[in-house]
Amino acid sequence: MHEGAIAQSVVDILRDIKDQNGLLSITSATLKVGAVSGVMIDALEFAFEAIKKEESFIKDATLNIINVNVKARCNICNKIYEFDNTDDLIMICPDCQMPLTIINGKELEIVDVEGG
Amino acid sequence: MKRIVVEKKILEKNDDIANQIKNLLDKNRIFGLNVMSSPGAGKTTLIEQTVEALKPQYKIAAIDGDLDTQRDAQRIAALGIEAIQINTSGTCHLDSSMVQKALDHISLDLDLLIIENVGNLVCPASFYLGTHKNAVLISTPEGDDKVKKYPTMFNVADVVLINKMDIAKFVNFDVKKVENEIKELNPNATIFKISALKNEGLRPFLDWIQTNINLVKNQ
Repeated sequence: MHEGAIAQSVVDILRDIKDQNGLLSITSATLKVGAVSGVMIDALEFAFEAIKKEESFIKDATLNIINVNVKARCNICNKIYEFDNTDDLIMICPDCQMPLTIINGKELEIVDVEGG
Repeated sequence: MKRIVVEKKILEKNDDIANQIKNLLDKNRIFGLNVMSSPGAGKTTLIEQTVEALKPQYKIAAIDGDLDTQRDAQRIAALGIEAIQINTSGTCHLDSSMVQKALDHISLDLDLLIIENVGNLVCPASFYLGTHKNAVLISTPEGDDKVKKYPTMFNVADVVLINKMDIAKFVNFDVKKVENEIKELNPNATIFKISALKNEGLRPFLDWIQTNINLVKNQ
């Protein structure tokens, strides 16, 4: 359950943003979570809800989570493959038989924040 | 109400410290290796055999991450090298700040630093520690379905060691299937088949470490 540590990092960043922008509270944060970031979204939301109870500046905050599928490119033919499900990941170009390079799917980012 | 565009990595702080560790290792020409696996896959035994084999030639230290106890560091230190235990008190992974603190207690006159992560195939994969390479260990009694279940871990691996090969046939472990799944998920990973306890099949892995020690030395 490292989502606890990840949720704590999110809250730390939200606090910095609140202070830097002279806000009193944060009402929402949009996160991008890649399919191979190693983070379970349910667990992250659960951990965030737990921290919310202790931090008044995020007590009404909601997390909007954007799931990012794995996309990978073949360096030889430049074709891009998207995988809806991590069960289907095959990191070899079917045409060139060469390793694909992941271009999306590892994201673990805060995109934007709303507050007042 | 104000909307603020952030575009910030959630683990930026971890990555910043990890990059400092990477610079420290590079400056001192130390090859850093992060060893990850589920609990009981044989990380400590693998590290013991590796240290035994390489200590006549190289200066080695180890950092051992565990939820509790000093046992792993004691086992490694018994081989006559410096070993620091990090007790994560419940945290399921090592992060870069824990490693940075441990490094304060280690002499950096080294060729090889081995970090034994907390036994867990999920969480450690998300935390870059500043090491040059990741070694992931999978052992045959765990079953041959682990690769697809833990794609993030096998995706960050530079080498995958399949351990406890000596009992593979008794636990119905389909080696070919596992090798194919590793290659599908991470075609760049090198695969070694070993039995750490019996000290079998380790030579190619030791050669791989030596090659990397030399690369870091000569960079």
